[in-house]
Amino acid sequence: MYRIFAVAAVAILAFTAAHVPSDAYSASDGAEQQYEVLSPWAEVDPIPVRGISPRIDTLAGKKIGLFANFKRAAVPISREVEKRLKERFPDIETDLYHSTAPNIDESVEQDAAKFEAWAKSMDAVVAAVGD
Amino acid sequence: MEDFGTPVVLLANRGFVNDAHSAASGKGMPGVRVLGTTIACESTVAEDIRSGIDGALDDIIAALTRPLSDEEKSPKMNTEKAPRIAFKGDLREVNDFFYRKGWGDGLPIYPPSEQAVAEMMQGTDLPADHLVAKIIPRLGKATVEKIAVNAVMAGALPTHMPLLIAAVDALADPETRFDTFEVSTGSWAPFLLINGPIRKQIHINCSSGALSPGNMANAAIGRALGLIVKNIGGARKGIEDMGTLGNPAKYSLVLGENEEESPWQPLHVDFGYQESDNTLTVFFPNRYAQTIPGQTNAEGIATTLANMRPGALSALIVIPDHAKIFAAEGWSKKQVRDFIIKQNSQPAPAGGRRGGRLSEDDFIVFVAGGPGVWMGLHQSAGGFGNSFITRKIELPRNWDKLVAKYRTLVPNYVKY
Repeated sequence: MYRIFAVAAVAILAFTAAHVPSDAYSASDGAEQQYEVLSPWAEVDPIPVRGISPRIDTLAGKKIGLFANFKRAAVPISREVEKRLKERFPDIETDLYHSTAPNIDESVEQDAAKFEAWAKSMDAVVAAVGD
Repeated sequence: MEDFGTPVVLLANRGFVNDAHSAASGKGMPGVRVLGTTIACESTVAEDIRSGIDGALDDIIAALTRPLSDEEKSPKMNTEKAPRIAFKGDLREVNDFFYRKGWGDGLPIYPPSEQAVAEMMQGTDLPADHLVAKIIPRLGKATVEKIAVNAVMAGALPTHMPLLIAAVDALADPETRFDTFEVSTGSWAPFLLINGPIRKQIHINCSSGALSPGNMANAAIGRALGLIVKNIGGARKGIEDMGTLGNPAKYSLVLGENEEESPWQPLHVDFGYQESDNTLTVFFPNRYAQTIPGQTNAEGIATTLANMRPGALSALIVIPDHAKIFAAEGWSKKQVRDFIIKQNSQPAPAGGRRGGRLSEDDFIVFVAGGPGVWMGLHQSAGGFGNSFITRKIELPRNWDKLVAKYRTLVPNYVKY
């Protein structure tokens, strides 16, 4: 008899657990309806990826570019980098490129050729964006 | 610069490292070496900059000299395709799933089932796979179906689809500078001004409390656009969208011109459209101010509008009662605009970062709102090559039928 009661109790508990909502929703507000939903996340065309350029072995004796964007902290940051690098490597040469127009890609703007020539003439670049 | 063969290390405030990596990946170079510094954004404090560089110097040198890893040399292209069907579950489970995926905006969503999306697409004659635009920063493909999915989530109606398609097309116009405003620390929000008969057909509130919650069209269109920007464009808060404080207007900032109570021609006619055309005009303000005029005659109202200091770009909202006063005293919209320009013709104060002389193209003036005395200013920024962008809203062939179907879906408040 005890075994029958135990089995019945387990069955009732299992039934209750399966049918009582686990949260604030009730069956009448649609919580039990099943929705097969579409993804809102967009497809993208695969972008060809490129690796970054090989590094230099040392900064000593190299020409280091300092790229500063339009934000007001960018040039002071670049100047501080210049100062500290020259303390560490007295024989390095530095050159600042200041991009003054807000939020542009220098490589496709009016001065693209000038920018490309500058970038190619540097052994490495430290870029500061002011943020 | 990396493309020119020159090794680079990018210095950014440490809160922007994820953003920089995301931007680099979006341009096909995920391996760009980004170094987070302690320097405050736009710092003007020499000691802050000095100590920040001091702490970063060894890492700067290492980033320029440490040999490349295999992944940095040859990154793998992400060719993963998102499944069209995202999930199956009940209302709560769908909401939890979307929230965990980062596809929501913090409020419950309406499940974008196949049936609901099909209903939404009744709002356009374009095919589901029609590409309206690619949205930055991820360059996600805003197909008609993806726009519809996000529209369903936002609780929009099929009659809102034509506006959403036009809005996506407008955002893709480079002159909006959406690329800057959407992800900027300035927390700029897309502002949509709607003109034309569509306002009344789909119940866009142009009158009392038009910018407050409570009207489905004003709320759902803006909300849908926010989800589109996030889920199609991929601008996620704190990763790509770096708004420092954020902006509640990113939930929705949609307003119709109160053409019926304006003595002047509506804005879209100023811009060369026919009065019967439906249009939306978009720009990105981050500041909303309201004030009352010192005097309620035309000059007093115009003086207060001018004293709100509109700059490039801004929208001045004249309420109907004030517009009537202007008309009664014989002020045209052009005269009001000229007065505001004259009052704001002084050069920017020394040391000012923005401002200066106001020009014709820097601001718009239109009539909206209900009875009262408060006037409004939405202020964005200029100097980015940005301007107000207006798009004509194209309606589907079944438009009249569609409008009739949803026409009675309006709040019916009890009287007490």
